[in-house]
Amino acid sequence: MIVALLILHGLLAVALLGALTHQAFAVASVRSDKRSFFARFRTVNAAAYATPIVLLFTVTALAGGLLYPDYRVAVRPALEDLQLRAANGAFEIKEHLVAVGLGVLPAYWLFWRTPLAPEHSPTRRNLTWLLAFLVWWSFLTGHVLNNIKGLAQ
Amino acid sequence: MKYSSAKIFTMVFGALYTICFYVDISLFRYYPEVGQFHLQMTPDIGPPILWYGWLAVAALGSAAIALLVPSKLADRLWSGWVWVLPVVVVMVILVYEARLWFV
Repeated sequence: MIVALLILHGLLAVALLGALTHQAFAVASVRSDKRSFFARFRTVNAAAYATPIVLLFTVTALAGGLLYPDYRVAVRPALEDLQLRAANGAFEIKEHLVAVGLGVLPAYWLFWRTPLAPEHSPTRRNLTWLLAFLVWWSFLTGHVLNNIKGLAQ
Repeated sequence: MKYSSAKIFTMVFGALYTICFYVDISLFRYYPEVGQFHLQMTPDIGPPILWYGWLAVAALGSAAIALLVPSKLADRLWSGWVWVLPVVVVMVILVYEARLWFV
């Protein structure tokens, strides 16, 4: 059961990461050749991603919250035994950043509501990049920790 | 702006959460080894998880403040605060945790 939940958590995180990265590059102020892969990667309806991102972030965080007790009992003591302080610290940061992200979601949702207000474009962009940073940190940390010691081992 | 209390919630939440974990204000504690919730620290039943309790305090506190702040005042606030304040919180967290774990 815990392995199934861990896989679900990972798949949701991948979907969230993809959606947020598309949206973040779509709102970035960069110039690129219109025929390039990067330009096509950016050519998405960024506003359409907002509600799925809010839902995916919430559900992924919820799944992570359900996995947390097993991590606390099975993984963290192993990291402490192995004296992997950086890995432990990275997870501590992850839990805080996910919390900050949950708090950011209401404003993120508010500023991405359509019709988009042009005067709030910088706020939308910065909220999106902030969420993207939080999700990338969380994803990479979770991935590395799972490589060090998975929940089912 | 409709639903402007969402701005206040976001502005307050990160700071409140950071205070909660720094000062250790947790609404409750979960003890995963025995699968029990407790309002107080309970020794001898394993390590507690405080994160849920910090989130609960931050969410309830931010929601209460967001509802108390008049929407006209919330509308007048610069919209950039909704990302500036969380960025400051993230930087504080990174510095604090880095000094704890990466030195």
